[in-house]
Amino acid sequence: MTVFTCEDTFEAMMTCIYDAWASRLGHDNLRLQLEPVWQQGLFCTYVHVDADFSKAAKVVRSIQRKISYEAYRQVFLAAMSFEPDRLDAIYRFLVLGFASGRKLTQMMSRPEVVWIFELSRKANTEANYFREFTRFSQVGQVYVAHIEPKCNVTAISAAHFADRMPSEHWMMIDDNRQIAAVHPKDQAYYMTRLTGEELKQLRKTEEEEDIYTDLWREFFESIAIEARRNSECQRNNMPLWYRKHATEFQRRARQ
Amino acid sequence: MEIRSGLTLQEKLHILADAAKYDVACTSSGVDRRGREGYLGNSVAAGICHSFAADGRCISLLKILLTNHCIYDCKYCLNRVSNDTLRAAFTPREVCELTVEFYKRNYIEGLFLSSGVWKSPAYTMERICEALYLLRNEYRFNGYIHVKAIPGAPDELLAAAGYLADRMSVNLELPTGESLRKLAPNKTHKAILRPMRMVSDTIAEHRLAIGKSAQMERSRSTQRLGGGIFSGAGGRIGERADQSGFVGDARPLKAQMPAEDLVVRGSQPVNAGRESFSLPAGLRRRDLQRPFVPAGQSTQMIIGATPETDYHLLKTTQHLYQTYDLKRVFFSAYVPLNEDSALPALGTPPPLLREHRLYQADWLLRFYGFHADELLSEERPDFNELLDPKCDWALRHLELFPVEINSADYSTILRIPGIGPKSALRIVQSRRYGKLDFPHLKKMGVVLKRAHYFITCGGRMMYPTPIEERYIARQLIGVNEKENWQIRHGSKTGFRQLSLFEDFQLGA
Repeated sequence: MTVFTCEDTFEAMMTCIYDAWASRLGHDNLRLQLEPVWQQGLFCTYVHVDADFSKAAKVVRSIQRKISYEAYRQVFLAAMSFEPDRLDAIYRFLVLGFASGRKLTQMMSRPEVVWIFELSRKANTEANYFREFTRFSQVGQVYVAHIEPKCNVTAISAAHFADRMPSEHWMMIDDNRQIAAVHPKDQAYYMTRLTGEELKQLRKTEEEEDIYTDLWREFFESIAIEARRNSECQRNNMPLWYRKHATEFQRRARQ
Repeated sequence: MEIRSGLTLQEKLHILADAAKYDVACTSSGVDRRGREGYLGNSVAAGICHSFAADGRCISLLKILLTNHCIYDCKYCLNRVSNDTLRAAFTPREVCELTVEFYKRNYIEGLFLSSGVWKSPAYTMERICEALYLLRNEYRFNGYIHVKAIPGAPDELLAAAGYLADRMSVNLELPTGESLRKLAPNKTHKAILRPMRMVSDTIAEHRLAIGKSAQMERSRSTQRLGGGIFSGAGGRIGERADQSGFVGDARPLKAQMPAEDLVVRGSQPVNAGRESFSLPAGLRRRDLQRPFVPAGQSTQMIIGATPETDYHLLKTTQHLYQTYDLKRVFFSAYVPLNEDSALPALGTPPPLLREHRLYQADWLLRFYGFHADELLSEERPDFNELLDPKCDWALRHLELFPVEINSADYSTILRIPGIGPKSALRIVQSRRYGKLDFPHLKKMGVVLKRAHYFITCGGRMMYPTPIEERYIARQLIGVNEKENWQIRHGSKTGFRQLSLFEDFQLGA
């Protein structure tokens, strides 16, 4: 068994798929795995693959042309999920996809398709949630948001905010992965990696309070109807882990 | 009445959000609009909720009243003129600042602006329009705006609001004219339905002018179905209803409701006999280029304050969808706020389960191709407390079940309890490429704990199940019970005494 390994970036994953396919070892004789590899198998050879833009672009183009755009969307979202085996799942999905073409995403009786469908749905749902529950705080002219998503959804959610606030300076920071989406006023947003020092500095922005954070908490409390209080329903709709960075659930600093 | 000057913004927000919270509609859905450089905001057709309040209801829009001053004396309302409450009013600029600043911090998806009737409907509507105009033009706000139309305001002002907002709503308040007379002496159905009719006609005209169909778009599942309440009378589902001995649409509604009620125009199609707004003066050309109320109209009804049955409410709802082409009808469980002999006593728990059942039925009308008459009838005017309307319907039509998943058509699959539009579509698409079995269905999102009593895969049911009403009912009630109890009691108490008779159906 040959195991192809690569870093946890979309480009590296696509390159890894390209190299595994081009190795002509036979789909059953190889496996794909994300780094870091904690425990090596006894009878496996490990091949590390470095990200290569042109190879990744070729894979993306083939998925879009030979399978469908929907299949590409699902592959991208699945790659952003936090399932450890996602790279191999994507590979199996594509093996079936290049054989069957456009109808791939509708073949829900195949386990490969269902697996990717589930992963992509999970990532998509989470991206939608962070579209909703992300909170920005104002620091000078810049709006800064901190999130801690399970799936890597910062780039996806940032696309929504780029459309929503095109003429504002803002940034969205994934505290765990140490990456940020930065959007300068009237320009396209870009993704960047943060150093530990930068992150430490940026953490402080969350303590920033102004009149509108207070007003928002006031509104949040006034709008609930006491006779209908139902915290179970509230928890179902907005699970506790999403509330970590939500202004209305943070204790007031000044009181 | 106490009027205090010099309230802070925070105090005003407290009073006016508190006064607005009994308005139910808080959706930001129905219109897709991209952001624009130099402007703030976009809009997503699916709607975006931003938070959930302690009562579990979503917070999508900044829901406030412009003022809680009111000259009307509706008995159920907190802001009625005879109540001694603290009154406040926002200036239009305060509304704009709040909206824009909240929006930039991603607290809200837009503004929901309602108001008490201050001095006169015209005066109030003018203030509302002023706020919206400022927000759209000076603050360059491109997000979602939901505005209440105040019945009795001049047409010009209502039209202006329509060009500035995304959704308009006129509250029907109560389903019959009689109840309205009793509880809201200053309002009449005629006055409420006139702006509703005009808004819906103007929407239709604008849609035709830009090459769309006169009727609002409905969900994809409804388009796929063909039948249902949004297509013309009859259709396959209508026939089925007639066969099973239910009252069809043929029966005139007038027989069931007092004459001056919703049947102001009988059941004419939406685009017959238009009466639309003339263009308002004072708006700039850019404002008139906006689509008129692109996210459509909605309304709301209070339930539990008056003796109407569920059947009556659902019939009214269906009628509103068909005649006024409303996008949504909302129900609001009555929370007793005022002491009055005509109203339930203070402390009466709001009928939350009933509200829930009505919403479930509303979904069945809008997405599943059901008609009101299939779900309820004169003889059975109220929903089953123990079972949701879809299970209830399926149990009364066991002759149609079980359904073979691998061959049944879309509309039949959609009527199986536990299967919704999305999973029905997935079933229809994927069975072309391979036979489906129960594990596949589970992965696709079918709720098998409800569905497995009604389906076969490859000719087999999941478990050996007698197709027998009493047996299946008993099983399904067990499935629904936890949910029902939660809705009714919230999560105030954690435990409850088991009852031999109630919990195990020994009494019946």
